[in-house]
Formats: sequence, structure tokens, C-alpha cells
Amino acid sequence: METIKLKLIYPKWNKLPGQTTFNLPPHGPVAFAATLPEYVDISFTDENVEPIDFDEECDLVALSMMLTTQVKRGWAIADEYHKRGKTVLAGGISTMLHAEEMVNHVDSVFLGESEGRSEQVIQDWKNGCLKKIYNYIGNMPDIATVGPCRRDLYKRDLYNHKGVQMVDLFNASRGCRFSCYPCAVSYLGGRKFRPRPVDKVVEDMAGIENNRLFIVDNSLAQDKQWEMDLFRAIAPLKKKWISHTIEDDPEVLDLAAKAGAWYVYQAVYDTSDYIKERVKRYHDYGIGVEGTILFGLDNQTEDDIKRLIDFLGEIDLDLAEFTIFAPFPHTKGHDDLLRQGRIFDFDWDHYNAGQVVYQPKHMTPEKLQDLYEYAWKSFYASESQEAKMFRLFCNVALREMEDGTYRPRDRRLANKSFGRDVDRSKRNVNVRTESQMLNLEALKQ
Amino acid sequence: MKVSPEYYDEIFPFKGEWDLESTCGLKIREVEGKTYVIVTELYQDNPGTSVTYAGRKLADQICEAKNLKLEDIVYLECTPNTNSKLSFYDEEYFQVDFFADMQHKYRQLSKEEVMKILGR
Repeated sequence: METIKLKLIYPKWNKLPGQTTFNLPPHGPVAFAATLPEYVDISFTDENVEPIDFDEECDLVALSMMLTTQVKRGWAIADEYHKRGKTVLAGGISTMLHAEEMVNHVDSVFLGESEGRSEQVIQDWKNGCLKKIYNYIGNMPDIATVGPCRRDLYKRDLYNHKGVQMVDLFNASRGCRFSCYPCAVSYLGGRKFRPRPVDKVVEDMAGIENNRLFIVDNSLAQDKQWEMDLFRAIAPLKKKWISHTIEDDPEVLDLAAKAGAWYVYQAVYDTSDYIKERVKRYHDYGIGVEGTILFGLDNQTEDDIKRLIDFLGEIDLDLAEFTIFAPFPHTKGHDDLLRQGRIFDFDWDHYNAGQVVYQPKHMTPEKLQDLYEYAWKSFYASESQEAKMFRLFCNVALREMEDGTYRPRDRRLANKSFGRDVDRSKRNVNVRTESQMLNLEALKQ
Repeated sequence: MKVSPEYYDEIFPFKGEWDLESTCGLKIREVEGKTYVIVTELYQDNPGTSVTYAGRKLADQICEAKNLKLEDIVYLECTPNTNSKLSFYDEEYFQVDFFADMQHKYRQLSKEEVMKILGR
């Protein structure tokens, strides 16, 4: 079979100002790449860490996009390739969310999950009968066919911060049985939780060279038996991992900790004792907690948000991430605000969850924006985000030292951050964290 | 979030965005010479596109199935009360006026208007 050269691109987006920027190796493009036939020769560029060479030789271009803030950049990239006479495909989460607009900018839109379907697209293109839309929404492939991603496509040095390799993203399941107000996952991945067979997960995970992972599934707490089976099965791999919520059950939390749970993202949506105790229970099992705090829902007044910010100081979170509600298409939040005429900004570049694009119910957009800025400043006033992250890093490094899996940082890249030279004029926090890192490595010797 | 059957007379299957199999609750009421078509979002029992997102496409399918003309009906979208603790799952009715440029106009109905139409 004749080789086809495919240029696979993950468009860049503007990072939120004032926050520590970390570039993780993206999951969507390499998951898609794994579904392509062997005769497709893939060259991958993550524009967040390296520029696109638009003149690189290729037969076909594919855009893989996850975020709403990537779509306009994706359209601009498509325009550039069209000037060069190339055919451009688009797929991924934000392609699905913005499909009606996407069809106006690219030659073909792929909607849904690509396992078992990509080769047909390639063949159609080759035969000159590429369809405008490949619609597999709601038509999910057998979850057992989800295989290892093409992680060999990553340029690893570009996902390294001062010698420390970033986590690899990993999927143990797809779909979600919950349908939360601000979330589009039920539209994207279906309203049914689809766990991968545990033996497939183990095989896939074991093949990843990186010992630190982020299991990006929406929530692992959807099928307790599968969750426990999974934790038992991956424990011998000695990976350390981040995830979203884990079942609030002592037996499950114990298994998770033994399986390498490093820290979890836990929504902090009120100031109840339940939240306080939930965070404490994770900590009791040695699992860190990054609180995720969403501002701007209709049930929040200004005082509610202030109380929530104060509450964070009482619950011993390891990290906190604040977001402003964004009415993404295909969510109930979007439908409600649209009907109520409260969305005033439809510029997708602004849907970054750090900018108010709608009229909040109980305050002005400016006040909500101020409270969001205040929350970040307030939570990280006594210790910076990078310093808190470093403390979490120390926790995992010590656990790795205990079980013999710790790898010292790559000193070759000590002066690099995501492929760029580290700016030594900005030393403040970094001086502290780097000296701490050296101390940690001395501990091992 | 099960929607009470009180909200609909029938489950109406429709083709949502990208022909996705979808369902909504449907009631049709004649009140003071006007035909009210009331579509209700079914949340977990709607496997596809929401009634709001489907918008005009859903209205056209109902008109075709029920032998109605869009210009002769008053089209209402209902988000039903699901007895959720979250206020954004409370009951609301909106009248929708469709425009060709997709900039549809929504107007929330008062409780009195809803009572008058539904005879509660």
C-alpha cells in the first residue's frame, strides 16, 4: 500500500494570564493516530510547544481539537493549508461541540469516536469521494477496541519542565452516566459509562514508559466493582496517577492509594461538612486533593462566593483551580442562558473558563470577574501555585523512592521549560523549588 | 432526573443535530383559538439533542407529523421541574419565535400564562 503522509496538528490556545503554564502531552491526537492504518505516516505538531511548518511536505492535514478556545486557531490553520492546496480534516471534542461552524472551515468533519472508522475516511479521500461529514455521534465503537495511543509521536523533550517529565494522559473509560449542568460529556461520549476491560487497561498502562499518569476519565466513581478491580489490577505496575473523583468508600480509597493514586480533582461546590470530610478522607489515605471551584452558577450570590473562598482555607486543599462558568454548546447551561438572552459574548476564544461571557444572575459580569481574580490571589497568597505543586511533586517522588520507581530529573533539560530556555531573571519561586528538588535528589543518594 | 409524565401527552421521537436519535415530551393544546405546541426536555430520557438546541428543526418535525403549519402555532419549550435540589432544574416555559437567521427570540411565560394554557 502506498504511504500517505498525514500532518496531524493540535492547535494552540491562549493560556490564562497569571497562572502557571504547564503543557501536557495531548491525548486526543495520539488516540486518533492509533486508529489510522499502518500505511499512514504521521507527523505530529502540538502548536502549544512548537511552531507549525506549513511547508512541511504532506498529503493530508488533520486537526485534532479539544478546547473551544482552539477552534478559531484551527480555522486559521485550515485557511493556511487551503492556500497550499491541502485537504483538511477536523475531529475531537471541540469539533463536535462546534460542528455546524466547523463544516464551513474544513473539508471534512469527523464526529464521534474514531476506532474502526478512520481507514474509511482515508480511503474516501484517496478515492476522491471524501464526505463533508462523518457522523458517528451516538454510535459508539466497542470499548474493547480502544487500544494503546501512539505516544511515540510525542517529542518528549517539549513536555518537560526543568528536567521533570509531565504526566501522560490516559483513558480507562469513556462516557458518563451523569449529566451535570455545565458539562457536555453526555453529548460527546454518551450517557452510559463505558469502562474499558481491565486487562486491556493494564496492558495499555504497562506499555507507557512514563511512570506518572493523569487518568482523565470524567469520574472513576461510576461502577464500584470495576473501579476496585481496576485498582487491584494496576497496583503492581507502581504507576502514580492523578484522576477525577474516586468513590467515597474506605475500601475503594484504600485500593486507590495502593494502586498509586497521587492526587484527585474534587469539586468544592459548597461549604458543607461533607466537603470538608471528603477532603479529609482522601488525605487519610495519602491522596492529595486539588479543589475545583466553579463560580457563576445561578444559585451563587456574591456572599456565597466569598464564603466559598474563605472556606477553602479551612479544608486543607493541596491545590485549587478556579473557573468561571462557561455556557459551552450542548450543555443545559448553554440552553438556559440562550433562552434567557444572557449570553453576550460568542467569541469562542473567550470561552476559556477564566472570562465572563454571560450576565450572571446575582451580580454584574465585572463583579464575577473580580471575585474570580480575588479567589486565585487569595488562595495562593501565602504560597505560590508552583510551590504548592512542588510539594505535591515531593510527595510522589518520596513514594516512588520507597517503591524503587523514582527517576531523577533529566539534568540535560534543567534549563528548559517546554522546549524553551528558562528565563533566569524570574527566579523568585523557582529558586526555592529548584533547591528543594536538589535536596530531594540528595535524599535518594 | 426523571421527568414526570404529567408534563407530556406523548413521547415524540425526532432527529436531532446530525440526525441523532432524540426524544422530547409533547403536548398540544387549543386555547382561545390558538394552538400551543409544548415540547418538554426529557434530560436522561433524551438520548440525543436538547429541545433548545434542536430548535426549529424539532418544530418542523412536529408540524410535519401533526399536520400543522409553523406560522399557525405558538411554540413553547418547557424545562420541567425535576425535584432537583439545584434551582436551575426548576420548571420554566419559554415561547420561541423562530427567525431564518437562527437568532430565535425567547420569552419566558409567567405562571399565570402557563396556568391559562395548561388549565391548571
